[in-house]
Amino acid sequence: MDNEKLEMQLIDYIDGKLSEDERQQVEQELVRNDQAFKLYEQLKEVIHAIDKTKKLDPSHELKKKFDDFLVAEIKGSKKEARSIFFQPGFFRIAAAVALLIVGGGIGFWISKQSTQRQEIEAIAQELARTKTLMMGLIENQQSASQRLQGVNVALTIQNADDEVVKALALRMNEDANTNVRLAALDALSKFHTEPQVRKVLLEALSTQKDPVVQIALIQLMVKMKEKSVVNDLQKIVEDDETMKAVKDEAYSGILKLS
Amino acid sequence: MEAVKNGDLQQASLLFDRYNKRIYNFLARMTMDRALAEDLTQNVFLRIIKYRNSYREGLRFQSWIYQVARNIFSDHYQMHKNRFSDFVDVEKISDHITDKNESEVHEEQEKLLERSMALLNEEQRELLVLTRFQHMKYEDVAVVMNTTVANIKVKVHRAIAKLREHYFELEKI
Repeated sequence: MDNEKLEMQLIDYIDGKLSEDERQQVEQELVRNDQAFKLYEQLKEVIHAIDKTKKLDPSHELKKKFDDFLVAEIKGSKKEARSIFFQPGFFRIAAAVALLIVGGGIGFWISKQSTQRQEIEAIAQELARTKTLMMGLIENQQSASQRLQGVNVALTIQNADDEVVKALALRMNEDANTNVRLAALDALSKFHTEPQVRKVLLEALSTQKDPVVQIALIQLMVKMKEKSVVNDLQKIVEDDETMKAVKDEAYSGILKLS
Repeated sequence: MEAVKNGDLQQASLLFDRYNKRIYNFLARMTMDRALAEDLTQNVFLRIIKYRNSYREGLRFQSWIYQVARNIFSDHYQMHKNRFSDFVDVEKISDHITDKNESEVHEEQEKLLERSMALLNEEQRELLVLTRFQHMKYEDVAVVMNTTVANIKVKVHRAIAKLREHYFELEKI
């Protein structure tokens, strides 16, 4: 048996790890071989020396340092946990989807608002263009038919501002063409509930000299049940220059209103 | 350890109580320096907590902590660009590793053993510390050292044989 193999077997023999046959073989070798016995004694001493070594104890400082570190680490990890929202990942995905939907909704709403604003602006521009066109027609000194057309446009509009009322009043009182004057009265009568229009109409009653317009005005006053015009109607009746048809209409108006 | 990995750091305290002495003994036997071993043991547990997420589930915690301890030991000496045998005075080893008040009652045999251990190369010393001083099974040591059981067995036998040589050479002095 070579030395290395013998030494390996002796170690296992000391550790009690040999089979029965191997053990007997080693013991025979120990009996007949002094060198092997010496080797066995030495190995046994070393192995027993190891077995007898004391366990070393760390100082209490080690435990204390570790506990301090652990406390700091736990605090640190709690801070960390606070800063990480939406754990676990599922909530993060849910939050992302929710954000996407809300974002999309806001985007859609803004775009809708913007479209509506654009439509309103377009309508306003359209109205402004209509008004400009209408005013241009009304103030056309060259053509009565153009003025008539402009006044007819005024009939279609919903709200008359000061500028339009003034223009229509001017057409009603001073236009050279009877048709234009009548159409202007017609347009103004549409807005008779507005104070400024009413004022214009009342003034017109005392100043208007065109019999056709005068008759239409009187009929309008009756329709408006404007009792304050009775004195003006009386003046028309008493005026020698007034046409008979107008006088009759005024008289009829006085009877209806008083 | 899985509880620690999942954020229950309080459980780390249990792991410390269970393993600190073994790891400390391993490092003390490896470094032959108790103060240093204490610092390195501290580092082992700090590293385990810091890198708890790298713990592979299913791996025995014991294997993992010893792997960490080996790395810490190895890092320490690489950082200092010196291996143990280059700078430790073998004659003074027992002063390093034993308490001064214990030294009076310390057996001659144990002193001799420490000196002999110091003369082994690092791998042999490590194998003996794990298998003989810490009574770790060859199977577990094979996992820690990432090798086969047969290989461990042969190397341990050779390490004991080498230790015996040093021991009786020193005894003659």
